[in-house]
Amino acid sequence: MSSENALKPDAAAIEESRLQRLEIDRAARWPVGIFLGSSLFWLLLGSALAIAASIKLHDPEFLAENAWLTFGRVRPAHLNIVVYGWLSTAGIGIGLWILSRLCRAPIRDHRSLTLAAVLWNMGNAVGTWGILRGDSTAVEWLEYPTYAAPFLLVCFAFVTLEAVGLIRRRPPGHIYISQWYIMAAFFWFPALYFTAHGLLILAPVQAPAQPPINWWFAHNVLGLWFTPIGLGAVYYLIPKIIGRPIHSYYLSIIGFWSLAFFYAWNGMHHLIGGPFPAWLITASVVASIMMFIPVITVAINHHFTMVGHFKKTIYSPTLRFVVFGAMCYTLASFQGSSMAIRSLNGITHFTHYTIAHAHLGVYGFATMVFFGSIYYIMPRLLEREWPSRFLIRIHFWSCALGFIGYWSFLSWGGVLQGIELNQKDTPFLEIVALTMPYLKLRTISGSLMTLGHVAFAISFCWMIIRHRASDGEPTLFTKRVPDPAPIHE
Amino acid sequence: MNKFRFIFIGFMLTFMSSWVGLVLLPIWGLGNFEQVPDPETGEMIPPVFSSLEREGHRVYIANGCIYCHSQQVHPARVRSDIERGWGERRTVPRDYMNQETVQMGTMRTGPDLSNIGVRNPSETWHLLHLYNPQITSKGSNMPPFKFLFETRKKDPEKPAANALNFPKGFGPGKDFEVTPSHEMLALVAYLQSLKLSSYEIPEAPAARVDSLAK
Amino acid sequence: MLIAVTVVLIIMLLGSIGTVFAFSWAATHQQFENLESAAESIFDADEPIGTPTDPSITRNS
Repeated sequence: MSSENALKPDAAAIEESRLQRLEIDRAARWPVGIFLGSSLFWLLLGSALAIAASIKLHDPEFLAENAWLTFGRVRPAHLNIVVYGWLSTAGIGIGLWILSRLCRAPIRDHRSLTLAAVLWNMGNAVGTWGILRGDSTAVEWLEYPTYAAPFLLVCFAFVTLEAVGLIRRRPPGHIYISQWYIMAAFFWFPALYFTAHGLLILAPVQAPAQPPINWWFAHNVLGLWFTPIGLGAVYYLIPKIIGRPIHSYYLSIIGFWSLAFFYAWNGMHHLIGGPFPAWLITASVVASIMMFIPVITVAINHHFTMVGHFKKTIYSPTLRFVVFGAMCYTLASFQGSSMAIRSLNGITHFTHYTIAHAHLGVYGFATMVFFGSIYYIMPRLLEREWPSRFLIRIHFWSCALGFIGYWSFLSWGGVLQGIELNQKDTPFLEIVALTMPYLKLRTISGSLMTLGHVAFAISFCWMIIRHRASDGEPTLFTKRVPDPAPIHE
Repeated sequence: MNKFRFIFIGFMLTFMSSWVGLVLLPIWGLGNFEQVPDPETGEMIPPVFSSLEREGHRVYIANGCIYCHSQQVHPARVRSDIERGWGERRTVPRDYMNQETVQMGTMRTGPDLSNIGVRNPSETWHLLHLYNPQITSKGSNMPPFKFLFETRKKDPEKPAANALNFPKGFGPGKDFEVTPSHEMLALVAYLQSLKLSSYEIPEAPAARVDSLAK
Repeated sequence: MLIAVTVVLIIMLLGSIGTVFAFSWAATHQQFENLESAAESIFDADEPIGTPTDPSITRNS
């Protein structure tokens, strides 16, 4: 195995690679740091709106006096903020950092990327304000009015340009699977957003053709934007943290191409039973089942890489969050494939079960993986440690337990709701009444998750503000401390 | 793999295939409907919205009604929609052709609204329900839309003609009157116009509808 | 919608042929030869295989 040589490198090679890594992390400090920091602001705002929306569903008079805070505006504001303000912003930062590391090339265009981050934040702010004031487009997952889009467009142009620059400056040799995923995501997302915005909002096609385009877009934000960034992060972080290469690189390539093809065709499973031609729905049902292929290859790969190393999740926050997230990816995908089967869909469509499933993907998988990634990246950007293990524990356990509660209660309530919706003799208001306890449990679970987010934000700000180096104590990732002794298998 | 350009071509091709299948073909097949004459009355269906109804459609959009209400009737073999009285037949693509931004929806926290204009034609019912859903539907989790109404002190000599009549226990009290704003009237007009599956259409003839509903 | 189904089937057919072609190209151009070194490319002299890179953060609390 070629790794025999890696066990005895010479001192010069070690120093060179250490300095190169330091240069890359230092160059990433501002652009990646701003994206990651901004994403936390949106996470907090998105969580607050989430709790408000959740309370309104069991207490409709809550904050209902003002048009700006009516449920029908707060709910899409929550969705767009967590999708474009939290997840996308963090995804850009994480994607750029991993790309920079793997391309062995420091991020060069600081000014444009800083401007890009500012524009992205402005786009989210303007978009949110637009939704709350009544300019929502009511196109699901695309509610930001058109005047927010140019901010997002210009930012993304800079981001993709930098990504291409990094790829072109990479050393000759293999392109690692994470780079495939991240580069693909950086091209897929703008293509999706601007196609959909154009065809549904700017110059809308005739109404009957809108839902397919809408759900091609919305599902692919999950499948071709968050999933590849998330998987790219997991494929980099798990091996890097435990110090062991991925179990089967061959499987990861199969996973990439099957994901690229099948995921893109999934979208119509949101429209099962609706007024659409049978071939359209069937194509997506088939694609949804075929998703077992990429999902199983990814699960096998991650599991066999982790085997023997699960104990490391005890001390590594990144690993803990990332492994939780990777497991949720598998679960969410299996659940999603099952929901595309027409008979099960007959119960779950239109219910809270669908919402719980959506959160298994965007929260259980993407959010938790992004949390783990930020725990890994920030100390390397700032050359400091996270200030408090207690806060990290609160973060993990509040979010993990809160989310397990969220998903379980809401799914169960959704199944009961779905069964009764299909009973013609059950009066509608009775169905509303039976969902009430589950909606209240969702509010409690969501509040627990938000507590975790607050702990995380405090950690993050504390880490930036404190000056560890100035009190003379060595921090974990600078030259003054010798590298930790390798753990022998 | 060391050539990025091949990976790039590959993932853009997979992306484009989905674009052809799920965007282009739907635009081509579902994006060019025209009205057809109603076999019984000869009117062109589905009917075009009046300008007040269009305004109401925009109020519906601005306030996010879609997040709780769907507008699509499913076939009898799939769901109990038709049995519940939510439509006489399944809705077909042509039914939606005159909406600006279709509001088919994906949640039924509240009932489907495809034929609410047939089920609940009364303007008074809608005004009371939208002012405070608890008036007509106790236990509902729909929010009140009082901000789409105007509340003012009642002038005993000139009471407003279209002031709401509240049942006991609701409303701001006998010294005040509540009238719907223009936006609210537009929204109600839009709701009253929703009769998506109540006319026959070539794609879903009545005879087949009857047999499916059994 | 028969034309639509036909178009979809043609896409699938072209896709399948393309996939077979891509695989055979990959096989003849040694794309499957150095997969191990591809997996190891994320490591380097300073963070080699066998060294965990996220040691405990328990030191300071």
